[in-house]
Amino acid sequence: MPAIVVALVVAVLFFLGYRYYSSYLATKVYALDPAFVTPAHSMRDGVDFMPTNKHVLFGHHFTSVAGAAPIVGPAIAVFWGWGPALAWVVLGTIFAAGVHDFGALAVSVRHRARSIGSLAKDVINKRARALFLLIIFFLLTLVNAVFAVVIGNLFVANPEAVLPILLEIPLAIGIGQYIYRTRSAALIPSIVGVILLYASILLGQLLPISLAGIAAEDGLFTERNIWVILLFAYTFIASRLPVWVLLQPRDYINSHQLFIALGVIGLGVIVGMDQIVAPAFNDTPEGSPHWFPFLFITIACGAISGFHSLVSSGTTSKQLDKETDARYVGYMGAVGEGSLAVGSILACTAGIAATQVEWNELYASFATASDGAAGNFVGGVASFAENLGISNSIAVIFAAIVVISFAATTMDTGVRLQRYIVQEIAEIAGARVISRNVTIATALAVLIPLVMALLPGGGEAGYTFGVLWQLFGTTNQLTAGLALAVIAVWVTRRRRNPVAVLIPLVFLLAMTSWALVVNLGNFIEEQQWVLAPLDAIIFVLALWLIVEAALALRKGRLAALAGEPEPEPEHER
Amino acid sequence: MSLTSRLAAAWRRLERGHDQLFVARWRQGVRREARRQQDTLRALVLLESLGVDNPVAYETLEAIPYLVADVHAWHRRMGQESFGDAGVCC
Repeated sequence: MPAIVVALVVAVLFFLGYRYYSSYLATKVYALDPAFVTPAHSMRDGVDFMPTNKHVLFGHHFTSVAGAAPIVGPAIAVFWGWGPALAWVVLGTIFAAGVHDFGALAVSVRHRARSIGSLAKDVINKRARALFLLIIFFLLTLVNAVFAVVIGNLFVANPEAVLPILLEIPLAIGIGQYIYRTRSAALIPSIVGVILLYASILLGQLLPISLAGIAAEDGLFTERNIWVILLFAYTFIASRLPVWVLLQPRDYINSHQLFIALGVIGLGVIVGMDQIVAPAFNDTPEGSPHWFPFLFITIACGAISGFHSLVSSGTTSKQLDKETDARYVGYMGAVGEGSLAVGSILACTAGIAATQVEWNELYASFATASDGAAGNFVGGVASFAENLGISNSIAVIFAAIVVISFAATTMDTGVRLQRYIVQEIAEIAGARVISRNVTIATALAVLIPLVMALLPGGGEAGYTFGVLWQLFGTTNQLTAGLALAVIAVWVTRRRRNPVAVLIPLVFLLAMTSWALVVNLGNFIEEQQWVLAPLDAIIFVLALWLIVEAALALRKGRLAALAGEPEPEPEHER
Repeated sequence: MSLTSRLAAAWRRLERGHDQLFVARWRQGVRREARRQQDTLRALVLLESLGVDNPVAYETLEAIPYLVADVHAWHRRMGQESFGDAGVCC
């Protein structure tokens, strides 16, 4: 089947989802009011609280939520065939992610633009705040671990991409300084910066950087693992720098790269008319996980991602000009992420191989599929770029740069946030040595994911990358579950029908718990003594979330029936 | 309108759009960071008003007029609806 047909059908379904389902949500579930004075107006400060045009705000929101995760998850999940992966991305985006992202935004706007963590405390109870902190701790640990492995694998496979990635750092700092020091328009410097970044591909081809000479063939110090150690050393330093020095300028360049990559995928699919060579359903080989329920934790970002609720309630809700804009910004943000996931599916089923035999070799087992996922996406995008007349050797490095840039920025942000979470948990636990010392907190934020990242493929104790990725998926889905629980209680208390929120909530919690239980059994059987306790802890968090959600919903329903007013939100302390 | 002026107008629109979409977000982040540092400094300078002994209160006395201008926005941002004695701030 031509990839363009799939792309068009998905575009129509996304349009229908936005046109009709989000309209239902806006009127019947979230009851948006065009006359409501949003926090952007009532608390305007010109920095965080700032009324913003809805199209511009959508751009800000989309570039904040889009990253490497909606690329890697679908690139692994097509192992089960493109049918299940595509169906979950499309249905998940329309009926779960849209409800979740839009809902988190709508609820936050009605609560002085508070974050989902604070809302959990207000709407559910104080225990939910602690639960939120713990889920985020494991989410960030796994985010940092999986993206370190993704980058390590790509550096090993594409030594020509290392130099451009290194040069991106001074380039980003230079552009950042230019914008900081001048008030003139930044369009030309940005174009020049992006051109210089891609021009450095030629330099990278001349000077490929490989650590194969100093790395061991197997064991702890393989080439991939040395890259992983270097990456964490980099993030340790980068996360201590002020955000405006490196993180923000890198993010600025990435936001341009996102639109360039989407353009290349879209145009490449249209011009090349590539055929999907992967099977719609791929029989699961012996020893690989079955698609049900593992598909739903392999693709988190792209179908539904809890991380979006942090962005929706963290920055976007503070800039919403009119409450009714929440529909466009929130729901379309989910659709944008879903589109990126569909692009990844097409790259890994149509772009990456010319025949099904070639494709079968790349996706021979779950371990092969997961280890090669980012590389397969890179190969697929390179093939689409070739359709536009770009040579394969340059196109591969271009695509690798895009994925590595996204993943590196996510790691930088992740370690930075993890440092705060470590300090907050240490403060609650009374461990002042950690909570008062930034260096120790940062070291912990780096060392824990480093250990996780070094084990995949690391000798007898090792495991496949896909297993680590799925654990990351479970924490992401639990974050989404917590946000959906907050939204469901909020909707119930207002005597509106919460079914649209409850369906994705119940589905997510059921699939995540099921997958965690199956994995726990496997880990114990395989004597994986790093993963088994981690899986057990995440499962306990899932059970805790289920209990809290059920209790809060029951309480909310009783309060709504009794006509009790909603409790006033507490102030942040 | 000549072709040149039309092209120039289109370029300016493109620059404005690019600025709103990409640069505004970047500048907002820089302003947020600057404000965070300013908030930390303000909290240190106003330690005495918060009931905490400040060993360098005499040295920082001169900085107070520069930092009280937006103290109302600051205490609200920190989650306190009022600050100091009644009538002093709000």
